[in-house]
Amino acid sequence: MRRGERPLRLLPRPLIAGFVLLLAGQIGYHHAQREGVESVYRPLAEPFSAAAYRGLAMGSNGLLAHLLAIRLQLHDNQAGQHFRYSLIDYDLLVDWLQQISDLHVGSEYPMLLASRIYTQTASPERLRKMIDFIEQRFDDDPQLHWRRLAEACLIARHKLQDLELALRLAEKLAAQPASVEMPRWARDFEFLLLSEMNEFEAAIAIIQALLQSGSIEDVDERRFLREKLLDFQQKLLDSRHSTRE
Amino acid sequence: MPIQTIALFRFIMLGIVGWRFALLVAILLLVAALGGSFIGELAIINGQAIVAAFVADFLRYSLALLTLLIIAASVAEDYEFRQFERLLTMPLARWQYIAAQTLAIASLCLMLSLPAALLVALFSDAPTGAYWLAALWMELFLLGLLGLLAILSLEKLPLAVFFALAVYLLAKLSGLMTLIVAESVKLSEGSVTSRTVETIFNAILYLVPGLDTFADNDVFFATADRFALLVEQGVSVSIYGLFLLAVCLVDFYRKEFNL
Repeated sequence: MRRGERPLRLLPRPLIAGFVLLLAGQIGYHHAQREGVESVYRPLAEPFSAAAYRGLAMGSNGLLAHLLAIRLQLHDNQAGQHFRYSLIDYDLLVDWLQQISDLHVGSEYPMLLASRIYTQTASPERLRKMIDFIEQRFDDDPQLHWRRLAEACLIARHKLQDLELALRLAEKLAAQPASVEMPRWARDFEFLLLSEMNEFEAAIAIIQALLQSGSIEDVDERRFLREKLLDFQQKLLDSRHSTRE
Repeated sequence: MPIQTIALFRFIMLGIVGWRFALLVAILLLVAALGGSFIGELAIINGQAIVAAFVADFLRYSLALLTLLIIAASVAEDYEFRQFERLLTMPLARWQYIAAQTLAIASLCLMLSLPAALLVALFSDAPTGAYWLAALWMELFLLGLLGLLAILSLEKLPLAVFFALAVYLLAKLSGLMTLIVAESVKLSEGSVTSRTVETIFNAILYLVPGLDTFADNDVFFATADRFALLVEQGVSVSIYGLFLLAVCLVDFYRKEFNL
């Protein structure tokens, strides 16, 4: 049976006044706190170790890794404001990405954040940190991460203007065994970068080896390689002529 | 004998199932779907897998709590209203009460797992939904048995729920606890106290189910052999479930009732 209730007007007035006062105090305090934090950037906290997250995940490692990655992705949005990536401590950021990658090795999310989100910075130092992370974690699963390494290669070439770094990444891509399925253009980065560095002989050698290996069955791809071969041979001849003159 | 058990099972189920039960499950499904969709909006890639995994885990834990509360409340009412005294004056053996409760737990878990698995299948695919149905049913069933044991032994609803949840969470968080204990041994440079705690903790772990007893949420992110996972879970749940039933029977037969 439901117990009856006395009307509010019968309650002691000091009790009602106290209740209203405390409610107003709570609302005012909360409002003041919110205003205080609105314009202040809250830096990234240190992540726990992957082992600790694994224990906390209660068996749902994949889900926790993705939720942590989404939380990290949203870190630059605080209290309805977007903060610049320059405010983020990239060493801590890399640490977070490492722990998330370790928590769920089959996840593409941290590598995607590194290659697409956190490379949107003008700082060469920060870009290098992201590229280092991608290069380091690529070996976990080359099949899953080849796109990220290809993107890192492009970033090194066009944003950092570091041809040597780009070539190193391209070599890593090209050196993957045939069992790692990726489009030919990803493996072609190597000789394209070599030609940009005026290393025509090396680029020509790679293309000739590719054509002779018989591994390229696509007609368009073979035509593209032959055109590049002729182009590089012509450029090599031109450079030799100009050196003699 | 089976007729009496089935009659008792029907009586228990009538006390459990009702419009409030259906409403609560519907609300949980709605919250899971809304929460999952919100998280899916935030994800850049793997959105479908993340949503399905979130929905599955949200429903797993909320339904686990619901199962525990329903089972414990049902038996607690039997204690409160002296139902045992009445039942035991009838031609009904004590094991039949446990059997009826086990049937009720199994049916309740199926009623909870089925809509959850359908929602999971909606967010992922039919084979994943089917896996989740079987895996979640086994997990809830085991937790239900644990709840039954707790309420039969402790007789008080809050104590029983707290105890069963503690065992469930200890099993789930055993990895983290092991890590903490191992770290404390390392930090204390292998002191006798920390080593003793480690030994006791490792001994306790033998009495709680392992992680393979529970549904594997990683199936949403990797192409695992689901059948093998279910077989492994089935074996683990069978062994632990039978152990729990044996303890329930021993405890229930030892109880004195004022007949």
